[in-house]
Amino acid sequence: MWVPFLGLLIGLLIGTVLNIPIPGVWAKYLSIAVLAALDSAFGGIKSIFEERFNATILLTGFFSNTLMAALLAYLGDQLGVDLYLAAVIAFGVRLFQNLAIIRRELLDKMVEKRQSKRRKRDNSE
Amino acid sequence: MSKLRDWKLPVFITFILLGVLITVQFRTQQTYLRDLSQQSQDDLLQMLSRNNEEKTKLEQELTVLDQKLRTVSTDVTTGENLTKELQQDILEQKTAIGLIPVKGPGITITIDANSPIMYMDLIDIINELWNAQAEAIAINEHRVTSWTKIHWSGENSMAVTVNGKKITFPCVITAIGDPNKLEEGLRLMGGVLDDLAVYDIYPVITKEESLEVPGAEMPNIRFMIPKAES
Repeated sequence: MWVPFLGLLIGLLIGTVLNIPIPGVWAKYLSIAVLAALDSAFGGIKSIFEERFNATILLTGFFSNTLMAALLAYLGDQLGVDLYLAAVIAFGVRLFQNLAIIRRELLDKMVEKRQSKRRKRDNSE
Repeated sequence: MSKLRDWKLPVFITFILLGVLITVQFRTQQTYLRDLSQQSQDDLLQMLSRNNEEKTKLEQELTVLDQKLRTVSTDVTTGENLTKELQQDILEQKTAIGLIPVKGPGITITIDANSPIMYMDLIDIINELWNAQAEAIAINEHRVTSWTKIHWSGENSMAVTVNGKKITFPCVITAIGDPNKLEEGLRLMGGVLDDLAVYDIYPVITKEESLEVPGAEMPNIRFMIPKAES
């Protein structure tokens, strides 16, 4: 379970070291891109628990969601429609759903482990 | 758990990218928030008034420094003027006592070798020239100053010496001053020329537009000191 954390840590380090300069005006679009990326990443973890994980779907989803979210937000700005909000709500809702599922799966696993341990102990006794 | 190998790498990559994205966005957001257009109006007003205060302070400082600069440059100018005045003074005084070569209108008095001239006659001529307001006098190339000696040489009473050096003939006395006045002074009835005529000495007097008189060497100053300083 340490893989995502390690990846995140390395990513944070790389980002800190590289110090990529982005104009302040883009902050809004980048923020929505980050939200989309978070959603994709947690969606990937959820799919592991649901045992229908697919690397292609995760990676393409990650990139296309990120880019599309930023592009849509930008387009919305140009058209005067706050597509930004739509993206925030859509990704935000999904993010929380994914997180809830992950939490439940984790809890289930822990309970299972405990039960199996207890069972083992009972058997050995 | 058999799928572990399948998910590890893609998830790892995804989270690395996520981490990079998050840091970049964090940075961007920080700079965006620090941007002036994102500041509240009150903050902007405060910043403006602070800047104005600083500007006023700096302007005052500038005024003070400007004044200082003006004072200093005035001082420098004064100093330069003083130096120039002093140099002018020194030059004038050196000119007056005959230390530097000078030029100007005047007359020359030529005495040829056949004249039986004695040192007294030279002194008479020079006294007469001083009397006629000559400003600088030279005998041949010897500047006549307040410490010039005119005498005869030890062995021959007819040989005239100036500052201990025998003068050669023709002896030319150069005097700078008003040429007419100088000539008049010499030609005065019963004056120097009349006296010399008694001994068959007839100096040739020429008025000149521009004459040059050499400078004398600095005299010894060993014992005397200005009275005011002692």
